[in-house]
Amino acid sequence: MTRSPLRFLLLSMLAVLALVFAACGDDDSGGSSSSSDSSKSSEKQSAAEQQGKKGGKLTQLGASDVDYLDPGHSYYTAGFQVIYATNRTLYSFKPEDGTNPVPDLAEADPEISSDKKSVTVKIRKGVKFGPPVNREVTSKDVKYAVERFFSINVGGQYPGYFQPIVGAPTKATKGVKPISGIETPDDQTIVFKLKDPVGVSFAAALVMPITAPVPEEYAKEFDAKNPSTYNTHVVSSGPYMVANDSSGKTTGYKPGKSISLVRNPNWDGKATGDYRPAYLDEIFLRTNATDANVAGRQVLDGQNLVLDTNPPANILRDVITKIKDQYVSVPSGGYRYFPLNTTVKPFDDINIRKAVLAGFDRDAARKARGGKYVGDLATHFLPPEFPGFEQAGGFDGFGVDYLSKANEKGDPEVAAKYFKAAGMKSGKYEGNEEILVVGANADPGKAQAEVAKNQLEKLGFKVRLRIVPQDAVYTEWCQVPAKNVGMCGGAGWFKDFADPQSMLEPVFKGSLITETGNINYSELKDPKVDEAMNKAALLEGEERLQAWADIDKMIVEDAAAVPFIWDKTTLIRSKNVNGVAASYYTAWDLNFTSIK
Amino acid sequence: MGAYIVRRLLWTVVLLLVISAVTFFIFYVLPTADPAALRAGRDPSQDLIEQIRQQLGLDDPWYVQFKDYISNLVFHFDFGNSFVNNAPVKELIFDRLPNTMFLVFGAAIIWFVVGVGIGIVSAVARGSIWDRLLMGGALVAISAPVYWLGLVSLYLFSDDIGQFKIFKGAGAYQNASGFLEKCWAMFLPWCVLATAFAAIYARLLRSNLLETLSEDYIRTARAKGLSERRVIFRHGVRSAITPVITVLGLDIGILMGGAILTETVFSIDGVGRLAYDAIQRNDLSTVQGTTLFLALAVALMSLLVDIVYAFLDPRVRY
Repeated sequence: MTRSPLRFLLLSMLAVLALVFAACGDDDSGGSSSSSDSSKSSEKQSAAEQQGKKGGKLTQLGASDVDYLDPGHSYYTAGFQVIYATNRTLYSFKPEDGTNPVPDLAEADPEISSDKKSVTVKIRKGVKFGPPVNREVTSKDVKYAVERFFSINVGGQYPGYFQPIVGAPTKATKGVKPISGIETPDDQTIVFKLKDPVGVSFAAALVMPITAPVPEEYAKEFDAKNPSTYNTHVVSSGPYMVANDSSGKTTGYKPGKSISLVRNPNWDGKATGDYRPAYLDEIFLRTNATDANVAGRQVLDGQNLVLDTNPPANILRDVITKIKDQYVSVPSGGYRYFPLNTTVKPFDDINIRKAVLAGFDRDAARKARGGKYVGDLATHFLPPEFPGFEQAGGFDGFGVDYLSKANEKGDPEVAAKYFKAAGMKSGKYEGNEEILVVGANADPGKAQAEVAKNQLEKLGFKVRLRIVPQDAVYTEWCQVPAKNVGMCGGAGWFKDFADPQSMLEPVFKGSLITETGNINYSELKDPKVDEAMNKAALLEGEERLQAWADIDKMIVEDAAAVPFIWDKTTLIRSKNVNGVAASYYTAWDLNFTSIK
Repeated sequence: MGAYIVRRLLWTVVLLLVISAVTFFIFYVLPTADPAALRAGRDPSQDLIEQIRQQLGLDDPWYVQFKDYISNLVFHFDFGNSFVNNAPVKELIFDRLPNTMFLVFGAAIIWFVVGVGIGIVSAVARGSIWDRLLMGGALVAISAPVYWLGLVSLYLFSDDIGQFKIFKGAGAYQNASGFLEKCWAMFLPWCVLATAFAAIYARLLRSNLLETLSEDYIRTARAKGLSERRVIFRHGVRSAITPVITVLGLDIGILMGGAILTETVFSIDGVGRLAYDAIQRNDLSTVQGTTLFLALAVALMSLLVDIVYAFLDPRVRY
């Protein structure tokens, strides 16, 4: 089963909204109306940026490695953190604003043709690759970067955003193939010709790592191998580079152990219009700090240290309630939820699903992940400080009685009302089906799945909880409709772009359901939702936000899942570190963080 | 002796092939997750998953995959590449091996010396207050989980998060240079790993030594007028320590791939942690590589122990 090209096109359009917002000057999109910690942290961040001091070495402790250093392959936070410090993508985000992109390698905003079928980007002069390439970046390097992304050897993971380009492969290619729709009339100009009038949305995707330049004459030797070995020979175009030897081999990258970043000697921020201050002289990312409790304590008690992601719950509580001045909290731009499989009995009955939502103690599920410090309780899907959130009712949601702020601990009376509507006179579930719940074998996923089991049993369901390794929860169970998983014991969806389409469509669009790798865990096939999504995908501006907020409401009305948390990422630092978090990829921004 | 060693080595090769086959079939027949889907990212297309499956050779029949794996292993000493980060598994293991060896052998020296010392004192002073104190302490040490002990030792004695900043803390070993500095950085992990083993060895040796000291030949030795020190060490301990050596060899072999908790608490890049992470990520080639390595370590240590027997016990000849 293949994905429809339209889907990719639509996804891309969503992404574009970021630029639309910029053009409209919609200041509210940053969610400043929220009274959460994150807005305060943004203010702190701005002050921190101004106080940055040049020099010093920062060490980041973490238990997990990057997925890839190759900008054509990476698709996860840890990889993005390094890639946005070592590369200049065409556009990127300042740390305090993950919604409005700014020109980076590009000289100015993209020029979109009047028919919206062509996007032209001018590239800055004077930007140079780091060693061993040491030459000026040209538009051909961006062209090659996009072309290689489609090669199976490289394995680009979000081809849909770039398939609107004329001549772009519909499936991964053997080796790097030229794409006719990318033109480079001169060294400073790149033109993307598009199959459809989706220029606005396509332009928003130019923030993704694959627009970081890759020198063909150097990389083609590595890209010819399957898989490409460019990952261990990456060349920098940003302020920092992974330490390497004269051949370009990244000696500073030790998989599963550490990544050593040093200054790129060819980077000249002032001369090449780079907005990043790059205060630090050296950055050492330890990816083998395997005990989060120990690492968290080391960061709080030590010097020049930061932790890569949320600390364990006990440390998080201490940091927020007692220590207070050693953390930054940023919205993760996503939601966590328990999908209810709408094709499996008894969840094929909408009243049963509404009863589950009404009686489910969402606060208990949040506690399993660390309590109130890890995020706000969700009342719908579009997360805070995200386009469309306010239109979707903000923190209050849509005011339905089965999913509101009032029933965050579950309301047995409302649940009974819907059970009765489904023909269960006792006000609890009376059937004999056994619900299959699949959860991870490690916390917090395990604790979360156990909460789901307890909540369902409380409502009268018979539950079989199957605990499997974390990765298998999805690839072997929840993503495989044939397995008939009644409730996935915890799922989450996070942004690629600040656009509501990418937040709702992959997760709830019926036409995107596949036999394996299916992301629509609820298997929601509501034609009205699909139709509304198709229409909303073509809208722009405020109209678009309202349309997606309405779709959010339709999904809530379908009771397709129990949303329980809008994640926040809390990052901790040593006292002498001026930590600045990147709201786009919710990790420390290595370009702005400094030593006091 | 030479023929014996060759025979044992050949059996080791057969053993490794069997283990390799068992590991392969466990992961082939009962996969916990699809490596191709894991590699394809968070929102993969069906095509991409299929192409990655081809790329990794996962679409070949199982016997082709197994044949390729074994032939690469036997003819090129190639364990394949990690499914997760493409790095050669051989490099991953050998990169971590020195750390694990340093941890395990250092701890083994401590637990052997301390365990044997306590065992002798307890056996010789049987029933005394020292015997009771030492055996009581040994019981506590055996009962303390390594993970808990590691955290407590860090919170008490490490120079970064400890109450009494005496020893180097977690992660210090990675930054240490020079043998002495590395030893100092590894001191806490050594002590933590050695604690339970020292206690077990002490109890084992005490029991063996008590039995040996009641043998007729010991009485004869005393009757001949030999000094008590000579009776205990030359005639008693030498005989009583043989089972301890057996256990020591196997323990070292197992810990070459199994000191996971100590490696985790102290952030040491070891083979055990590599194996654990590979299992978590369904990284079949790394799991196979580390499993084979662990089996090899146990087999070789077992062979070494048998050879050492010949020197310790004059009755043993091959």
